[in-house]
Amino acid sequence: MTVHLKITRRLMETIRRDLSRPHPFAYERVGFISAGLSSADDELSVLARSYRTVADDDYLHDPSVGAMMGPDAIRKALQWAMSDGLAIFHVHTHGGRGRPGFSGIDLREQAKFVPNFFQIAPQCPHGALVLSNNSAHGHIWLDGDKPCEVITRFVEVGSPLNTWSAA
Amino acid sequence: MSRFDRQSFLGADSESKLHAATLGLVGLGGGGSHIVQQTGHLGIGGYVLVDPDHITETNTNRLIEGTLADLKAATTKVAIAERVIRALQEQPRIIPVNDTWHNATGELKRCDIIVGAVDSFKEREQLERFARRHLIPYIDIGMDVHDLANKTYLIGGQIILSMPGKACLRCCGLINEERLALEANKYGAAGGRPQVVWSNGALASAAVGLIAQLLTPWFTEPLEFIYLDYDGNRGTLIPNDRMELLRNKVCPHHPSEETGDPLFDVREFNRVTADLALRKVKLASTIAPISFWKKPWAVIARILGR
Repeated sequence: MTVHLKITRRLMETIRRDLSRPHPFAYERVGFISAGLSSADDELSVLARSYRTVADDDYLHDPSVGAMMGPDAIRKALQWAMSDGLAIFHVHTHGGRGRPGFSGIDLREQAKFVPNFFQIAPQCPHGALVLSNNSAHGHIWLDGDKPCEVITRFVEVGSPLNTWSAA
Repeated sequence: MSRFDRQSFLGADSESKLHAATLGLVGLGGGGSHIVQQTGHLGIGGYVLVDPDHITETNTNRLIEGTLADLKAATTKVAIAERVIRALQEQPRIIPVNDTWHNATGELKRCDIIVGAVDSFKEREQLERFARRHLIPYIDIGMDVHDLANKTYLIGGQIILSMPGKACLRCCGLINEERLALEANKYGAAGGRPQVVWSNGALASAAVGLIAQLLTPWFTEPLEFIYLDYDGNRGTLIPNDRMELLRNKVCPHHPSEETGDPLFDVREFNRVTADLALRKVKLASTIAPISFWKKPWAVIARILGR
């Protein structure tokens, strides 16, 4: 099985711009991407639609991590998934260039909250992305009760097309 | 030395990028057949070739590589296109679909770029909508010969790069309700429209240029929306007046909320992939076992480290 994530360059630039804004106290920003889906045999395409930033007030003070979302941030994202029936992906950036990777804290936190999305939008996969300034890496859950998978291939849709694989 | 040395300016890894790309080509007549030939030379490795028709006598004035022998054999346009590509490349990935594109949506979803060289406005609009829904850049080419009376004719055409999120064929004014209604009323009575090989070739060449810009980084400032007008009488290809006006327009006709299959359900997808995996396991288990004399030989070879 392969999972492709496609996103327009315009949307990717919007996300990078938003995530690079300084926060009053958190070291980094986070947000959520909504996506439509399409499949052909055992190939799944995650097609990014829009982006919502996490509001300044929805961060918790936690100097041990770059950014800690409060319960309101997750509640709003869950509400979005429920009302629009969408796939939701948590997103943050590590900056720099080249292929980024999740930190141990990222992996621990995403394993806690991403499966919750299946309680309210079980018809969609959900996941988490980490960006650099020219690449991305991601995890996707196809079932809330099973481990996540690595997103196989990314396509930034613009001119020229920018594609990269997880391997 | 590679056969692509003369196009190495396209970028250090352009050869592998072009080979890895998959192009969806809908319509393999006058315009599409030129694109097939040129992209085969360019080195694009993957193709979904879609056309429901076979070659007819009136195609032979412009269908590239469509021969009189093909006419006699009633060869499909898809088969002609596949033959052209296989003559130019050693291991192309070709999915031929001798049917309408509506029956090739699974294959077209996987394409990096879709090119439409179809006749009707209705088909163009539907194909563009499909491409937008799957975040695939769509290139549309079209030409017409207009009778200006007094035995004077104007050959005109256009090429549009329709990038998801940017201006679309409706934004360009190429498709509107009036044209669609006019076309619907003429349906079945319009007959064959005039077409000539050189104007098809001019438009197709420009389309292949756009494909190269989309897949390789050779051009430093590629545009994401392109609308060019072809004047076959003057032999010019120039930006349409709307191109600058629409450059940064966000398309209202294909909102991002329409992206994806509206009825997609991951639980059904999981069931399908589990079935496919099971079938692969069963297929592997039906492969004939190693014959009795090869088994001890394999053991001996392993011991001997051979």
